[in-house]
Amino acid sequence: MAKQAPGVRIDGLTVVYKTPAGELPAVRDVTLTLEPGTITGIVGESGSGKSTLALSLLNAVQPPGRIAAGSVDIDGLGDVVALRGENLRKARGKHVGYVFQAAQNSLNPLKTVGKQLLDLGRSHGVDDLRGLVREAKELLGRMGLDGARVLDSHQHELSGGMRQRVGIMLALVLNAHLVVLDEPTTALDMITQANILKIVREVHAERGLTTLVITHDIGVVAEVADRLAVMYGGRLVEQGPTRQVLGAPRHPYTRGLIKAIPRLVGDIAEAQALPGRPPTLVTVPKEGCVFRERCPLRMDVCDTVDPAALADGPRVVACHAVNVKEHA
Amino acid sequence: MITGTGVVKTFKQRGKVLGAREVQALRGVDFAIPKGGAASFIGESGCGKTTLGRIIAGLETYDAGEIVIDDVAMSPLKPKRRQPHFRKIQMIHQDPYSALNPTRTIYQTLYAPLSLRAGQTGRSSSWIEERAAEVLTLVGLDPGTVMSRYPHQLSGGMRQRVVIARALTVDPEMLVADEAVSMIDVSLRLGILALLKDLRERLGVSVLFITHDVATARYIGDDGELYVIYRGQVVERGPVDTVIADPVHPYTQALLSAIPVLHGLEQPGEQPVMPLETLDDSQADAGCLFARRCPFRGERCTSERPLLHVTEGVPQEHACFYPERRNVIARPMSEV
Repeated sequence: MAKQAPGVRIDGLTVVYKTPAGELPAVRDVTLTLEPGTITGIVGESGSGKSTLALSLLNAVQPPGRIAAGSVDIDGLGDVVALRGENLRKARGKHVGYVFQAAQNSLNPLKTVGKQLLDLGRSHGVDDLRGLVREAKELLGRMGLDGARVLDSHQHELSGGMRQRVGIMLALVLNAHLVVLDEPTTALDMITQANILKIVREVHAERGLTTLVITHDIGVVAEVADRLAVMYGGRLVEQGPTRQVLGAPRHPYTRGLIKAIPRLVGDIAEAQALPGRPPTLVTVPKEGCVFRERCPLRMDVCDTVDPAALADGPRVVACHAVNVKEHA
Repeated sequence: MITGTGVVKTFKQRGKVLGAREVQALRGVDFAIPKGGAASFIGESGCGKTTLGRIIAGLETYDAGEIVIDDVAMSPLKPKRRQPHFRKIQMIHQDPYSALNPTRTIYQTLYAPLSLRAGQTGRSSSWIEERAAEVLTLVGLDPGTVMSRYPHQLSGGMRQRVVIARALTVDPEMLVADEAVSMIDVSLRLGILALLKDLRERLGVSVLFITHDVATARYIGDDGELYVIYRGQVVERGPVDTVIADPVHPYTQALLSAIPVLHGLEQPGEQPVMPLETLDDSQADAGCLFARRCPFRGERCTSERPLLHVTEGVPQEHACFYPERRNVIARPMSEV
């Protein structure tokens, strides 16, 4: 079965969580297209809604959360928001591979990796389990591991970097062509991180995937992603080709974030922390721009009107101050 | 002034099936952190940097070598007599979410060490409240709003500031910050780093910064010393900017090469160093500990272990037989 890298169109997606204070949006009106065969990176701080957005791709937002509006249209699958029951279960794994945050802790400590692989195969009705094992060994070998040894190992016998590669193998082994990696390198060392990112890039190209990487670390996105999307307070505030966004960020949050990264060379005094703190589900403003409390370009209109995401060529920015200047 | 000479620590793992296994966490480490100075330990996880930090803070014993705090050697003292010395060194942990008691308000958290101190020095209870407000102000928090709050009502950055404030209640001479910003939101990290630098300048507290993120080490002060630790051995040591800009040890070069490049803003270094294998510290090495992974190893490297030394023309100390400058780090586009 030859599959092709699918495109994904997220349109007007809103995900809310039920809290004592009512239903609060963790992701609000997000529109994002993943072009087939590209790597897209979503960057955001804790509470920005990036993981919730990623879970929506599997329609796997858990109660008390629910998808309140919008659609996630995946080529070959249709709108996953409308999928239910068996159809949804089968889509996960086969069409969409998901490498979970802290994949190093998402393995069953009581079973060998091989047994977990067979469980995965059976639950998806794979007839040729030998073939599945062969495929898994090949993938692990491709990532620089001894496949047979790893399949015979329990998770405690593997290092963090090895577990992360096992997570990637499990996401790909059913021949999924859309892969979501949630914080793929958090808790890994620099050298291991560089290795994993190299593997992500290579496997993406070799297998013809559409890949989504979720991270809080702009450096990770800069290394692997073709396109970069920045989330803040549940909103997508800026997106565009990675090099363009990093080289000439437009949204004041993106600019501040890039300025706040400790760098190896250059003037220490130039780097500045953003004032204030990122909003949580409860403190995110109900109307107006989500970033205005920390924004150096704040205007009156920001208090009342949520800025629309306007496209300018390949770049999209949701900011009154920036869009007024460029569209006036 | 805190110095260490030849500090050794071996962890013994007892196992019924696999037999006892020994892990050499530290293999004879020397360090010196002057009063009001700064030092950073960098390396991969398992390199021994955290163990060394814990030994310096008095939370862990050592097997050989000596720690000297303000001219007093620690090992001849009975554990109880060491306490007042180690009290001068306070630890700031990685995770501000678990370092604070969730059932206590910030004031209650600060009250405990302060009341102990007030009892020892015969101060009144009004001093406790004054001092609590003072340390909170020092770390950039507003005592009026923060004191009555619980930890869950604060952001990660604010919590880490509270942890630092708590460490300051006992008037320490040194703060040991172990990955103190790695769990803080990116936009707030620099604020915590700037605070540590500020405390050095204003209070003369020295700072020991333990991290795997080399770039952050620069931000606690450019007069600081960088110690690159690999498998329990210091392999390169020198002024932080020198070691980052001109590393000579292949391991330091590999660490710096692995840092993501901000394409669009930065140009990658021209001679990146990739280790040949992944870290496997179960094997015993007679020679250089990095030799198996080193792309530049020579004959001498597998038979003889290089120790930290200086060679002509290299300003920093290093533990390599064939030190060579390589252009490994990414530089801003504007400079290239």
